[in-house]
Amino acid sequence: MSAQPLVELDHVAKTFYTRHFLHLDEETRRRRLYARRTVHAARDISFTIQPGEVFGLLGPNGAGKTTAVKMISGLVRPDGGAVYVDGLDVERRRRQVLRQIGVVLEGTRTSIWPLTPLENLAYYGNLKDVRGAELKDRSHRLLDFIGLRDKKNVQVRRLSRGEKQKLAICIALIADPRIILLDEPTTGLDVQSSRAIKDRILEMTRELGKCVLVTTHDMAVAQELCDRIGIINKGELVTCRPTAELLDLFSEQIFAFKLDRAPAAAEFQDMPGVIAVEAENGEEGPALALTVVREAAGRSEALYEVIARLRRGGYQLRSINQRQQTLENVFLQLTTDLRESPAPSGRETK
Amino acid sequence: MRGFFLVLKAEIVRSWIITRRYWFRTLTGIIVGYGMLMALIIGFMSRGGMDAVAPADAPPTTVVTEQAAPPPGVPGGLVSDPTKATRYVLGFIIGLFAFGIVGLFTQGLQGMAQMGVLEQLCLSPHGLVTNFLARSVVGGVNTIFSSGIMLWLITWTLRGTLYWDWVAAPVLLALTFINLLGFGFMVGGLVLVFKQTGQLAIIVRLVLFGLALFAEEGLLHGHWLMTAFLHMLPVTDAAICLKYVFIQGQGVATGGPVTSVFAFEAPYCFYFLILNCVVWTGLGIVCFKVMENHSRHKGTLGAY
Ligand SMILES: Nc1ncnc2c1ncn2[C@@H]1O[C@H](COP(=O)(O)OP(=O)(O)OP(=O)(O)O)[C@@H](O)[C@H]1O
Ligand SMILES: [Mg+2]
Repeated sequence: MSAQPLVELDHVAKTFYTRHFLHLDEETRRRRLYARRTVHAARDISFTIQPGEVFGLLGPNGAGKTTAVKMISGLVRPDGGAVYVDGLDVERRRRQVLRQIGVVLEGTRTSIWPLTPLENLAYYGNLKDVRGAELKDRSHRLLDFIGLRDKKNVQVRRLSRGEKQKLAICIALIADPRIILLDEPTTGLDVQSSRAIKDRILEMTRELGKCVLVTTHDMAVAQELCDRIGIINKGELVTCRPTAELLDLFSEQIFAFKLDRAPAAAEFQDMPGVIAVEAENGEEGPALALTVVREAAGRSEALYEVIARLRRGGYQLRSINQRQQTLENVFLQLTTDLRESPAPSGRETK
Repeated sequence: MRGFFLVLKAEIVRSWIITRRYWFRTLTGIIVGYGMLMALIIGFMSRGGMDAVAPADAPPTTVVTEQAAPPPGVPGGLVSDPTKATRYVLGFIIGLFAFGIVGLFTQGLQGMAQMGVLEQLCLSPHGLVTNFLARSVVGGVNTIFSSGIMLWLITWTLRGTLYWDWVAAPVLLALTFINLLGFGFMVGGLVLVFKQTGQLAIIVRLVLFGLALFAEEGLLHGHWLMTAFLHMLPVTDAAICLKYVFIQGQGVATGGPVTSVFAFEAPYCFYFLILNCVVWTGLGIVCFKVMENHSRHKGTLGAY
């Protein structure tokens, strides 16, 4: 990957201030006439997106994903650092930048409700300098592809939530941009449509060399779609790695010991090489889930030890499974405690 | 500039489709407006409390008249003094116009921010100012048309007289409109950053409305501070000039050597109007741009 990145965030920082009058201070229980609350929506965030790449931005609510998208599209100005799109500084060359990007922001009210999807596309196409036969042709193709074929001439206010979302995606694609920013694009979409959109995203990146940034709360979508994933928590980029590497980093460390009865977690505390112990008693029967260190010797030690303790406790061991790591688990681990436990934490590895 | 016309075209198409689709609403709007204005005017006039207003009718200079003025006090008319009534109606309509245009920049802008349309406009490479300019031009022309129809209808019902001067009227309307746009841009800039000002703006709009309704030259002879303030506001001079042209039929100077383009009794109002136009438009657009940038910084272009 030596090509110039299409999107580059260079140590971007953004702090929002909100003003409160007659603010009740939680700690002192005193009312202050005026208070200013700060929210760090981005702290020193750096990442790049290459041509032909799908980049996923994940994070809990309020982490700063939408803010990042808005900073790339010039709707929010960063306090520090710079954002480059195709080598152009977004702050200085916003017009040129806007010609190259298509954005879907959250919310469904971006389209004009009294107009039909076709008219909406004509309107927004005009705002983006797409005209004439090309506009018409592209509108029809986009609406066909996304599954609004028979809703082309229905007013947007009569469309369902998911259909409005589909239209928002079409609007973002109407100018055939090279850089596509999708903020939670698959919320509210049915299975077929999200399949269609995922396929389209892959086609656009793999075959047409565009780049796509998606934010989503759907781990399955992210895992399936994204080449690289960045996880943001409270404005901080916790990790940013290729998806496979991210999964790999956290894999091979959860073992489930299926037992005949529910284990008492207390019996398995403070074992060497064990990061977490969890007693489970779910649908699959009683089990002990053990998260062990990645390092081979430590892991071996831990496994021997737990088996010894299980025998001592008189448990009957039914089976031992190594759990497949999912992005969801990785995500939860990274965002609940702010540690990236294994391996040195790099801002970005390429 | 080319960008502006592209955006303008898109806006015209959009507004045309909406008007066509909701023609019934447009029509009922005009009818309801007509009924309400009629009721107000008749109520106003029958209470007879407005004597201070109408100055002595100067004999109209030669202009195109739409309808011969009936002598005052013709029995069978709805009001005893149609000229005075027409004057009020005109004031009302200018007031509504000002109210509407400034509203486009306050409540309208606020609503667009809430819905996310504003962000879409910002994503257009032509920039927010161009987009908003196109939007308000289309909105303004629409309003001029519908209020023109209403004005004509009411005048006709009241047996009043409206004068139309092919030079003076369009020029004055355009200047008034530009003036209000400039003012609107300034207020709009403030609303972009301080969303709460949207509520305050209602007061500003009402002041403009009242001013348009009652504006006349007599108002300008009070304390100099008051006079200066009135000249500063974008509707005072405009309303005075418009009333001279539409009601009293004073327009372009005809005959003899042309010393002033407009032969009002108060030509200085016209000069103030031009000055206002230049100042408000310049100030408004600069203010809007600065505030737009600040709004990017605060992240208030969207629903936040
Ligand atoms: N204009 C603003 N003014 C003040 N605070 C803001 C503004 N915009 C966002 N914030 C705050 O910044 C933080 C990040 O918001 P952001 O919308 O980027 O989160 P997000 O990651 O998109 O969350 P979600 O998953 O819910 O969409 C939030 O705490 C939010 O309250
Ligand atoms: Mg968000």
